[in-house]
Amino acid sequence: MSPASTAIRTSTPWFSATKLANFRLIPRIETYLHVLEFAQTPLGKGALLAVFCQVLRNFVPDILSWVLIVVALILTTFLPGHRRVVLAIGAVIGTLKATLNFGAGFTLKPVVMDLAVMALGMMLFWCARRWPQSRFGRRPIVFLLSGFGLLILCASSVPAAGRIGVFLWSAIGAAVTYVWFIAYALTDKSAKPAQEATVELAALRPVWGSTATPFPKGAAYLRRIEARNAEQLAIAQLKGLKLLVWAILLALLVGLWNKFFHGYLQIPTSADALTMSVKGTPAAWHLRWESLILAFFESILSVSIMGHQFIAVCRMAGFNALRNTYRPLSSTTISEFFNRFYYYFKELLVDFFFYPAFLRYFKSNKRLRMIFATFAAAFFGNTFYHFTRDWAIIRDDGLLQAMKNYEASLFYCFVLAAALSISQLRERGPRPTGFLRGHLLPVTWVCLFYCVLNVFVTDERVYPFVEYVKYLASLFFIRL
Amino acid sequence: MKDKVDIREFVQSLLIKNGDNEPLTDQESLLLSGRLQSIDAVEIVLFLEENFGIDFAEIGFDREQIDSIDAIHALTQTAAP
Repeated sequence: MSPASTAIRTSTPWFSATKLANFRLIPRIETYLHVLEFAQTPLGKGALLAVFCQVLRNFVPDILSWVLIVVALILTTFLPGHRRVVLAIGAVIGTLKATLNFGAGFTLKPVVMDLAVMALGMMLFWCARRWPQSRFGRRPIVFLLSGFGLLILCASSVPAAGRIGVFLWSAIGAAVTYVWFIAYALTDKSAKPAQEATVELAALRPVWGSTATPFPKGAAYLRRIEARNAEQLAIAQLKGLKLLVWAILLALLVGLWNKFFHGYLQIPTSADALTMSVKGTPAAWHLRWESLILAFFESILSVSIMGHQFIAVCRMAGFNALRNTYRPLSSTTISEFFNRFYYYFKELLVDFFFYPAFLRYFKSNKRLRMIFATFAAAFFGNTFYHFTRDWAIIRDDGLLQAMKNYEASLFYCFVLAAALSISQLRERGPRPTGFLRGHLLPVTWVCLFYCVLNVFVTDERVYPFVEYVKYLASLFFIRL
Repeated sequence: MKDKVDIREFVQSLLIKNGDNEPLTDQESLLLSGRLQSIDAVEIVLFLEENFGIDFAEIGFDREQIDSIDAIHALTQTAAP
């Protein structure tokens, strides 16, 4: 055999599963030595910032918000030693900017309320540190969440339009923005070394933006993932730029997706398909399935774009945070998908509900212990988070009606918790191997599960639970 | 040192179960780096409870305590009864 033929036999085929798995649309520029070195020079930093901020402009239409982020990024890039102070000042300015209404109806009330809630959060953090062995110091999260729940109960018991009602609901509106951030601050009470107040303040309202779920967790986590030298900063920033470019590509895909599926093919959105069914004029069977499948992929795209944007800016500010959404469609188990789809929300449920329950209850029975902790997180925690987050529904419809309208979401949380429990218990055993049984079939099953469960995902909460059940049954040709 | 060998073997078994065959040093981050997930942290907690009698409800739980082989080993030295 000639050497040439040996070379042909041993070379990697032009197409292989490994090559496909390792294929990257955006190259790993942070591993290229010359790029890494250039990103550490003043010129490189400037170029990186210019490109990043220009791309970011597509996601931040409000010029003032964009300028605030740009200034913060310039300062944290060129003065990394003052990163925490810059971000703390940015948090306060961000609060002022978000709550001050510069329009015709100028009002100072929301900003006072927001700053009061931030001050309360800092005070609770200080108390938990000062008296760690007190009842509050030992279980600060229980006190915080119970207090927040009680505040909503009190507000529900007085007329929403009255003076007390208006005050309480304003306080709740402000508190909802910060409650999970304060919760993370309280878990930092025993962090070693002790957190600085500036880091805590920066984490209460991060410059890179956030939902009610803190991105990326609290101050202690930020401290752990902070870039310690010029090389680490360059790596974090290059990864941030990559993530933002990825977000732009996904945003472009969403535009084309909507034009093609909802515009050209006229497939209704999932919410529209449900409304049509409730009104007695259901869409064709195949359209209902198509809308459901599209909604599943759309939810992944929208969560990815949102999370990538926040984490990209966070990385650019010098924190090497993990991505919020990471290859969810490669998940082979229900719990793996839950972990990959919305990482920081899952982390919130794990930190504040799963671990506390797991470490305390049913220690002698492993299965029961796991199931109880999973229900504490995915059922109770998930329900509490979403029910309180949508406080305006409680204010407008009253507590009882809001609870009634929440039935579909409650069912969603229950099924999710049950499925996660089973998935986690099964994960402890051996996994099937091979492409078909080890990958393709599990991935399809996981996608189908979340796709069907999405019937019960709704933000409007206007229909009774039975309508969702009827809609689900109709997908399987069952008339109720 | 046998404890540390046991810990290393256990952590490596978790990584292999997740399809992670990359080399691992004793100082390397496991959870904050994303190499292990929260469900793996549960496995580590169970391992420490069963083999070292550590009660996290008693001492408090922070993922940083179990973020590397060295950190887990240090925990077994200080928190085990």
